[in-house]
Amino acid sequence: MSSIKPFSKLPQLNTANVLVSSIFLRHHLSLNLSTFIPVFRRLARGLPLPAENEENRPRIDLVVFIVHLSSELSLVSTENSLKQLDTGYFLGKVCFLVTGARCGLVPDERLVSLRKLAGSLHCPLLFAEDQTREGVSTAAQRVLKILRVSAGLVPMVTGLYLSSLTRCTVPLDSDGSVQD
Amino acid sequence: MEAQKSATMTPRTNVASGRRSLGFEKTNLRYTPGQLTALRIPTSRRKPNTRNDIDPEQLAYIANIEWKLSYVTPLYKFRHTQLVLYSKQLSAFIVAEKQKGIAVEVGPEMGFKVVFSVVLGMTETDEDAETVFIKICSKPAFAVEGSAVKVVWSGWFTCVNGNLDYMRSLPSDFVSLPLFCTNGPESITALVKSWFTRMFDCYFGPLSLNSSILQWLGALWTECHPASNIRYLKLAWNLPTLPPLDISYTVHPQDAWNLWSSIRQNDSMEDGISIEEVRRFMKGLESHFFRHFRMHLSAGMLTRICTSLGSAHCDGTIKITGTQYITPVLMLLTECAQLKMPI
Repeated sequence: MSSIKPFSKLPQLNTANVLVSSIFLRHHLSLNLSTFIPVFRRLARGLPLPAENEENRPRIDLVVFIVHLSSELSLVSTENSLKQLDTGYFLGKVCFLVTGARCGLVPDERLVSLRKLAGSLHCPLLFAEDQTREGVSTAAQRVLKILRVSAGLVPMVTGLYLSSLTRCTVPLDSDGSVQD
Repeated sequence: MEAQKSATMTPRTNVASGRRSLGFEKTNLRYTPGQLTALRIPTSRRKPNTRNDIDPEQLAYIANIEWKLSYVTPLYKFRHTQLVLYSKQLSAFIVAEKQKGIAVEVGPEMGFKVVFSVVLGMTETDEDAETVFIKICSKPAFAVEGSAVKVVWSGWFTCVNGNLDYMRSLPSDFVSLPLFCTNGPESITALVKSWFTRMFDCYFGPLSLNSSILQWLGALWTECHPASNIRYLKLAWNLPTLPPLDISYTVHPQDAWNLWSSIRQNDSMEDGISIEEVRRFMKGLESHFFRHFRMHLSAGMLTRICTSLGSAHCDGTIKITGTQYITPVLMLLTECAQLKMPI
């Protein structure tokens, strides 16, 4: 079991690598690869990653956690994976993608606790619709934008700078203090 | 609230002026879909006690029937004293709609009668409005006097222990009866809903029960096991595998009770059940399943929970057979309905 570090390997020229972590691997994002740089997508059910592939694995530029609100296991496994992630990633190289937030059958507590988690880690929280093709492609476009920044392919912008603009804010309580 | 407050003033600013602090009743703040109303949802509930003050004959109309749940926004100028007038108006409306050609399954040759009645004694607090029961019975055209009437459709509005802050913040002419249960053909339900929408300027919507509500119901019913045998605890899960799996998990009542009482042993409140205990109970059941079948039930969705005291399905149907414990169930459902208010 190895933990990935953001700067322990040399970057590859003009490529970007993203690690997508989701408990339902068939829901993985079909990242639109028609950008002018190749994007390599690696899938995982959760962290830590197995140690066998350590040498062959390139430097991961962005870790995307897909949380399916319809199942509690998704949230629990994301929380456990976060503990295994090197802290260097939280400076702009982690993104949360939430599916199923509009469903009436989802208890409110899950979304609230996920927002608190993302807010405390200062990471962007994106909502996605995974049942339609347009929804998936829209979500893929948004993730690609963040990926390009965190892979260093956009001049003058770093992941840390972008995350200060896109980070999730925790909703406030009615009297101004943070919700319990 | 002050009479000068206009009807457009949202309740948010009046709700919970200051957090209820530590040590007292712990609550969570939940917002309605419009994000303008904040309701405090308790994290612990009272243990269910039996109630004997509701008329058993009227309770018999409610028990043992599968009810479809919806939520209603507050009704404008609904008076409990004018129920006879409302019955006449609703039957006239149904006749008019039938003549317009909208199919009603009562049948063309039969007459029908609409009865509005009040079921007393179901409320918990002084702010709750009394439950209103609506029955549509069919009378065959050539019936002998005194023959049994067949109930074609029935429905009831109720509010049990509604959120006090929210109800006090409503303007004076509005009555909050957020939970609406129906049983009968869909066409008649649609007609009744459209009549209410026209008369009282309200809005109906479907109420679905999410998994935390179903878990609360399961825990409340299990808590009643020593007093009245629940005979089985059945849970149904839907796992999003390929192809999707439906799992039905039946627990022997004594085992469920042993698990529940072992959770309650460690510093539990005398009078209440907390949400942590409910979660631990469900985790116990899920981990037992995992140990045997190596499948995580929490990856899927809890769709149905059944005991001999009642059953509930996630798409908003409920059946109550143990009528002595009807109040905690209705309290949960009223809370659920009030959380769905559009603003």
